[in-house]
Amino acid sequence: MSADHAMSKPSQTGQQTGQHTGSQTEQQHGLSEKGLKAGSVGLIGAVVIGISCIAPAYTLTAALGPTVAEVGVQLPAIFLVGFVPMLLVAFGYRELNNAMPDAGTSFTWASRAFGPWIGWMGGWGLIAATIIVLSNLAAVAVDFFYLMLAQIFGNPELADLTTNLPLNIATTLVFIALACWISYRGMETTKTVQYVLVGFQLLVLAWFSISAFSHVANGTAFDATAISPDWFNPFAVGSFSAFAAGVSLSIFIYWGWDVTLTMNEETKNPEKTPGRAATITVLVIVIIYMTVALATLSYAGVGDTGLGAGNPENQGSIFAVLAGPVMGPFAILMSLAILSSSAASLQSTFVSPARTLLSMGHYRALPQKFGRISPTYKSPSYATIASAVAAAAFYVITRTTSENALWDTITALGMMICFYYGITALACVWFFRAEAFSGVRAFFFKFLAPLLGGVILLVMFVKTAYDSMDPAYGSGSSIGGVGLVFILGMGVILLGVVLMLVMAKLRPEFFRGQVLTRGH
Amino acid sequence: MRYVVGYSANARGHDAVNLAVSLALGRGASLDLVLVVPEVQQSGHALAPKAGFENLLNEQAQEWLDQALALVPSSVPAQAHIRSHDSDAHALIEAAEELGADMLIIGATSTGLFKRFTIGSVASALLHASTVPVALAPHGYHRQEALTRISCGLGTRAGAEKLLEFALGMAANRDVPLRVVSLLALDGDAADSADAAREYAAKCLADALAAGGPADPGEAKAEVPGEAKTEAQVEAKTEIVVAHGRSIEEAVDRLDWEDGEVLLIGSSRLAKGRSIFLGSTAGRILRALPVPMIVVPSDYELKHLNHSASSDTPREAQQ
Repeated sequence: MSADHAMSKPSQTGQQTGQHTGSQTEQQHGLSEKGLKAGSVGLIGAVVIGISCIAPAYTLTAALGPTVAEVGVQLPAIFLVGFVPMLLVAFGYRELNNAMPDAGTSFTWASRAFGPWIGWMGGWGLIAATIIVLSNLAAVAVDFFYLMLAQIFGNPELADLTTNLPLNIATTLVFIALACWISYRGMETTKTVQYVLVGFQLLVLAWFSISAFSHVANGTAFDATAISPDWFNPFAVGSFSAFAAGVSLSIFIYWGWDVTLTMNEETKNPEKTPGRAATITVLVIVIIYMTVALATLSYAGVGDTGLGAGNPENQGSIFAVLAGPVMGPFAILMSLAILSSSAASLQSTFVSPARTLLSMGHYRALPQKFGRISPTYKSPSYATIASAVAAAAFYVITRTTSENALWDTITALGMMICFYYGITALACVWFFRAEAFSGVRAFFFKFLAPLLGGVILLVMFVKTAYDSMDPAYGSGSSIGGVGLVFILGMGVILLGVVLMLVMAKLRPEFFRGQVLTRGH
Repeated sequence: MRYVVGYSANARGHDAVNLAVSLALGRGASLDLVLVVPEVQQSGHALAPKAGFENLLNEQAQEWLDQALALVPSSVPAQAHIRSHDSDAHALIEAAEELGADMLIIGATSTGLFKRFTIGSVASALLHASTVPVALAPHGYHRQEALTRISCGLGTRAGAEKLLEFALGMAANRDVPLRVVSLLALDGDAADSADAAREYAAKCLADALAAGGPADPGEAKAEVPGEAKTEAQVEAKTEIVVAHGRSIEEAVDRLDWEDGEVLLIGSSRLAKGRSIFLGSTAGRILRALPVPMIVVPSDYELKHLNHSASSDTPREAQQ
């Protein structure tokens, strides 16, 4: 190359000042400097991103039923309690993200703290959780797609098409493929679309709650149940098993909220905006969840027949059942809100496993091809397609083996989130152990909060895993006398162990700690 | 002279670099290879931090640009830049304006099955918004030598004279012949129309020579010391060709094209019907064309012609 050829640093319009310094060794062993971007997101923008990552309409329809099945009327209590470990772990996440911003997140952080083996499993847990949620998002989107068709054409038979197994699987695979293609092309939801989707979801959920309460007041509710203070008492939950299952499900409903805490560099005021945005987001979310939970319980009760929230038939997707009776002809708005939010979420969630897989490929913990970036679209190419294939395969397996695939996937998902969040939180404690007692702030955020959060989540994980061996667990599907949720959850983790051992054989350098070194 | 090359690490990007080298060799221009990476967003359920992905993306972009620089022969000075922007076209135009570039060079998409050119979304956005001429490399453009001939597609609409002046300047500066091409889609007897087209082209050429003539010898002298060029010599190196066929594509096919040739075309005709861009004459030419095409914005000439009488052509001719 001639001397004339010079690399110039990006010098443009302040969008990006990516750093490419660092020798080969530094790039291999450490984490390169993060690219900083001048402020672009304000408080409202950050809150919108937070809410849209949670996708409350989708989350509620997927998690409300299964949680009621576990804890009954103590649903509001569990939704409140579930936020505590989430918050504790999120503090640890924020510390790790500030110290080591990396596309691999849990994988990278756990590797740096505990070495390659636990790090690999942490990454696997994260990937598995996102793959599972992808398949669930697609399935929910498909349900509401057919429901919306039925509502548009006034033909209830169309809604039943989703129970036609081959058609359901085919449609879901099409949805997954479309979302994968959009993600592969590097297209992202614009801010305007995000604002509209979030606003629409909040509006429809408020509408649903108001309608439900007015049915209760008018005496036209299905099973009018008076709200009692007992609903807010987590200790009224029947057993520790139910409590653990409920908490691991409610971890899922806040999943994505932690995004707001880590949005440092892109906010207009990095000192204050992330903290405020996180607070406002969680307030908005908690208010929605409480209102909708109370509205649902007051309107439908927890009975296991008809519209009751405890009816196993309704567990998979509660709004698909309740929106019609509650909202009347406007139920189509609910279908539209859930379809749009789950479809948008489906597409944006593809980014998570793809980036983690990319990072693992980059650090040679997976075959090199996972580290490929598409030259044309500049997105993780192989990793995105691999995620789609995995999500599709997971869906096909669950759908064909479970009596209620949506229910069981959400339960398995809650378990998987507890697993990798727990590892990540403890990674934070261990990584920062030298600084833990250097001050009050460090003690709380780097030690106490993540330690408590991590231990709680791992306890929930172990307890849920143990309980899920019972064939009656979740939707009551089982294989060979063992609960399907256990087989799904443990099967995925075991698959991870097997793949890890294969990788260690094929590409030992990562597992010898030669790529990502431990400690600071 | 600086040319901005829109680079991507695929066949399209290679085509663009090759064309940029060909264009730069005759003019001593330097190249700025620009790779646009998307702005990374934070999204999804599980945390997918942007900072980490941005690092990997930038690392990869740097690697791609190193490979791209290796494609450029050492006789052509080249620099590489990473830009992050959600719109490739926007980022390239911005880069061209910031760097004071005289031309933007990109590759056409390679998805067209049988046609050599397909306009991608980036190219079509560029063609409608760029303030500097845009050069499109056909799929599989391998040449890395100076141009051997310049063709200028002539329409009958206003603006043709200015395009021709630009073309004359470009040909003189590079010391290559200029061919004025009139493409006609005709049925049956074409003689009358062909004659009319030839006459029109000749008139335009004479006008352009008259307007730009005085400056040419000086220009040539500056470039090739000791060898003064006269207007006659310039004129001798120009020819007028009228090609006709049942369709524009056939007319393009019937012409002979040299490997080292480019076709200049004015964008006023393209800009006219944005919505029917590919249905327009230029779009049809593009689809059949075996050589690179340079689209010159209509306001480009106007802007620069106002400078002085001696600037026969805009920046392409300025030293």
